[in-house]
Amino acid sequence: MRIVKRGIAGTLESSDVMITVSENTKGGIEIDLKSIVEKQFGKQIRTVIREKMEELDVKDALVEVNDKGALDCTIKARLEAAAYRAAGIQHVRWEEK
Amino acid sequence: MIYTSINIKAEERILDLRSISLKSKKDVRIFTEFLNSRDLEMDDDIDYAIVLEENEKIVASGAMSGSVLKCIAVDRNYEGEGYIGKIVTYLLLKAHHENSDHLFLFTKPENEAIFSDLGFYGIAKVDGEAILMENMKNGLADYLEKLSQKKVPGDKIASIVMNCNPFTKGHLFLIEKTAAENDHVHIFLLDENRSLFPADVRMDLVKKGTAHLENVTVHHSGQYVISAATFPSYFLKDSERIIDAHGRMDLTLFRDRIAPALGINRRYVGEEPLCPVTSHYNGLMAEILPSGGIELIVIKRKEQGDGVISASRVRKLIARDDFDAIAELVPPATLHYLKSPQAEPVIKRIKGLNT
Repeated sequence: MRIVKRGIAGTLESSDVMITVSENTKGGIEIDLKSIVEKQFGKQIRTVIREKMEELDVKDALVEVNDKGALDCTIKARLEAAAYRAAGIQHVRWEEK
Repeated sequence: MIYTSINIKAEERILDLRSISLKSKKDVRIFTEFLNSRDLEMDDDIDYAIVLEENEKIVASGAMSGSVLKCIAVDRNYEGEGYIGKIVTYLLLKAHHENSDHLFLFTKPENEAIFSDLGFYGIAKVDGEAILMENMKNGLADYLEKLSQKKVPGDKIASIVMNCNPFTKGHLFLIEKTAAENDHVHIFLLDENRSLFPADVRMDLVKKGTAHLENVTVHHSGQYVISAATFPSYFLKDSERIIDAHGRMDLTLFRDRIAPALGINRRYVGEEPLCPVTSHYNGLMAEILPSGGIELIVIKRKEQGDGVISASRVRKLIARDDFDAIAELVPPATLHYLKSPQAEPVIKRIKGLNT
C-alpha cells in the first residue's frame, strides 16, 4: 500500500487516539508519538504501529500519533483507517481474523 | 450515602454538537455572549463556528478563520471533561476535509499545555500576553530551512515586507534605495490572498519590476510573516489591544526566527502617515527589532505631483480609468498588466468598491 496523501482517523477524546498518516519523503516508517502514557506504554505503542504497517505492507509513511490512552485494538483500528485514507482507498474489504 | 457525589459525576451528560449559523442574528448573539463570558471576542472573519450545548445552553465553543482556530472556550463548570478535545477534533477534521491541514491558533500563555496536549506546538511568544501555536511539528523549521538556502553573505543584509497591491514606483523607489545601501535585500511579499490584486500577480509584477537589481531576492512571506496566522488583525479592523498583541507576535517571530535564518540585520519601511494599523506596527518595529540586532530604517515616501505615491492612490485612479495619471505612478510592467485583459476582473472589483 502506497501513501499518497494525508489520512486522519480517531479523535482527541479520552481513551481514543488521533492518528495522521502522510507521505514520508525521507523514506521508511517514521513515528511521531505523543501519548499521555508514553512512559508506561510508549515502546508497546510503537511496536503495535510498526506491526500494523508491516501487515498493511506500507513501506514509507510518517505516522503522527496523539494518544489519549487508547487500547491496542483502538490504536490498530485507527491506524488502519488512517492508512487506507492516506492511500486513497475508499472501499475496504475488511478481512476476518 | 457516600456514593452520591460519585453518582452525579458518573451521570452521562447529553451534549449536542452543532454549528452556529452566522446568518442567524440569534445564533450570533448567543455565541458572542458565551465568548464574552469567557473574556473572548467574536471576530468578523470567522468562516464557521461550532458549539457544544446541553439543554440549548452553550458549554463549549470553537471557530475557524482560514487556517486559524479561534474562539476556543469552555464554560467554567464544564472544565476538565475533555470538551475542548471534542471541539478541536471536530475543527481539525473539518479543516482536513477542506484540504487545510496546517493550522494555527493564538492563546494565552497559561493555556499552552492544553493545546500542546492536542498536538499544537508553540512558535512564538509575547511574554505574559499570548502565544502563537501551529499543529505541524516542523512547520516553522521547514520554512526556515528553505529560507536559509537563499542566505547571501554580506555585512549589511536588509529586508522589506510589502504587499504591493499593486506594485508602484513608490515600492520601487524604496527597494532601489535599500538595494543601493546594502549588500543584499530580502523582500517578503505578502502571500495572503486577501488583497484586491491576486498574490501571483503581485509576485510577478514585483519580480519583473526589480529584475534589474542583482542584489534583491523576492520571497513568499508564507504563513510566518504578516499572515492571517501571525497577524490576523492586519486584515481586520480589530480593537487596538488585539492589534498590538498580534503586531508584537509577528515581530517577535521575525526577530527571533526569520531574520537569523537569512542573517538579516536591517529592516526598511516606508513612512506611514495614513493607515493607523500600519503606523502602529511601524512603532512596534522600532520597539521590538533593535533588541535582536536589527536596525529599523524608515524611508520618507516618494512623492509625485501633489502627494506621496501609494497603492491606494493608484487604486483610486484605476476606479476613474485615469491611465495617464497611473502611468506616472507605476513601473512599466504594472501598467502593462493593468491594460491587459487579465486585469479586467480586478479592475471591476476595484470599481465596485469605489462606487
